[in-house]
Amino acid sequence: MTSSACHIDISHVSKIFGAGEPGEVVALRDVDLKIARGEFIALLGPSGCGKSTLLSLLAGFQTATSGALIQNGREISGPDASRTVVFQDYALFGWLTLQKNVEFGLKAKKVPKRERAEIARDFLARVQLSGFEDKLPHEVSGGMKQRAAIARAMAPDPEILLMDEPLGALDAQTRVLLQEEISRLSSESGKTVIFVTHGIDEAVFLADRVVVMSPRPGRIREIVTSRLPFPRTAEMRADPWFTSTVSNLWETLKPEWQKEDEQ
Amino acid sequence: MTTQAVRPVLDAAGAVPEQKQAPAPRANSTGGRWRSRRTVALNVIGIGTMLLLWQGLTAAGAINSFLLPSPVAVLDSLWEMSKDGSLWVNLAASLKRVCVGYLMACAVGLTLGFICGWSQVVAELVRPIIEALRPIPPLAWVPIAILWFGLGDMSAYFLVFLGCLFPLFFGAYTAVRSIDRNQINAALCLGASRWLLFSSVLVPASLPIMMPNLRLALGIGWMCVVTAELIAAQTGLGYLIQQSRMLFQIQNVVAGMVAIGVVGFLMSAAVERIERRVNAWAPSERN
Repeated sequence: MTSSACHIDISHVSKIFGAGEPGEVVALRDVDLKIARGEFIALLGPSGCGKSTLLSLLAGFQTATSGALIQNGREISGPDASRTVVFQDYALFGWLTLQKNVEFGLKAKKVPKRERAEIARDFLARVQLSGFEDKLPHEVSGGMKQRAAIARAMAPDPEILLMDEPLGALDAQTRVLLQEEISRLSSESGKTVIFVTHGIDEAVFLADRVVVMSPRPGRIREIVTSRLPFPRTAEMRADPWFTSTVSNLWETLKPEWQKEDEQ
Repeated sequence: MTTQAVRPVLDAAGAVPEQKQAPAPRANSTGGRWRSRRTVALNVIGIGTMLLLWQGLTAAGAINSFLLPSPVAVLDSLWEMSKDGSLWVNLAASLKRVCVGYLMACAVGLTLGFICGWSQVVAELVRPIIEALRPIPPLAWVPIAILWFGLGDMSAYFLVFLGCLFPLFFGAYTAVRSIDRNQINAALCLGASRWLLFSSVLVPASLPIMMPNLRLALGIGWMCVVTAELIAAQTGLGYLIQQSRMLFQIQNVVAGMVAIGVVGFLMSAAVERIERRVNAWAPSERN
């Protein structure tokens, strides 16, 4: 992992909302992170730690107040199809079938009609949604919606997959199943993945490196490098390294979670 | 925590009458069909009773049939006017005016509404003007309309246009502002061009919110055309009513009113039908 080229270079990035005004909020302060090609990064922390803001900066939805976000040596200046996003609330287009949702990015890339139908069907099959191509999003379950959203994000073949608490709205069982699927899909595709979560076990289960963040101001607190091989499978949840890492992280993050709870 | 921050353009709110649409009830299976049959039966009983009562009271002389002709007399004169073609000629004239005025208002109102919904700066420039013009009822524009366009189609177009403009503008404006920012972001990160974003995301996402206003505007347009024709035209259902009044053909006056009512009802029902189809995907997505 370390031998491959630096894919994303986040250097001295700060994001301040309402800068210069009395109620200014420092969402991120001086964040530095280098991400290798094909790496799976989990951004972990309580709410307010700036992990979603960092993802949004990476997506190009917002711009940093200071510092730079560099992808392949070029600064990220706005959203583009080399970095697609999976949202917590799915953000599927409700008026389009799952098939058409997945085709959307291909249509934007001007892939011919028949080819894009094929590619979309293939991606829906990979997320186990064969037979649901013609359903509208409101006709399927939350887990299926998120699978479709993952297929939609992967179909245009982005370099980087940005996932913003994608499993946050799902029930525990669906979450576990989808964690395994995401791990399989990401190691198959070899894409760089940045995965925002506040689930400790989820972060440790999925990531090459868990980037632990702290709130007020949002900053990187520590980075945990995983020892688990890929793809991750269910039995790794019983691995001694996994369990001890999860409980150590729980101990370090607990005070902040308690603080958050009191507020 | 960041989602608020990602909504730069669409959220910095002015004092708009934000109208969130309640999800439309979905027509479902057999229970729904039974209920709708019952509804229709009750509706028919209601209207039938009123007509019978009206007919009975005029026949008995309790209602002066010169002031309010009986339903049978009204039906008779509708039949006469449809036979000699005057009903159809005037109906066609009115419909044409509504359509032209409505489409002009769509072109201007929806476009302006979309732009204002998208750009805060434009919204702040345009909204005061709209708010200042909005309280003026179309009737108050009639003298100016006649002065500018004379008697005839152009005046009617203008009045229908004015009547429809504001609900259409606010429909589009509110709709664009209430679109889920994440859906726009999703489209952008998938590489959507401006055109694809507009045609495949903004328009379909705003349709369910816009539809009630499209329907409302059509109803207002229909009222405006009659108003215009009462004063500023020489064809149309409004003109027919006015002309009949001068000739003391009161049953024709009422027949004209009935025609207006029926056509207005049919138009609204047609749009509602389209609305239901457009909203088919909406309920659980915006729960």
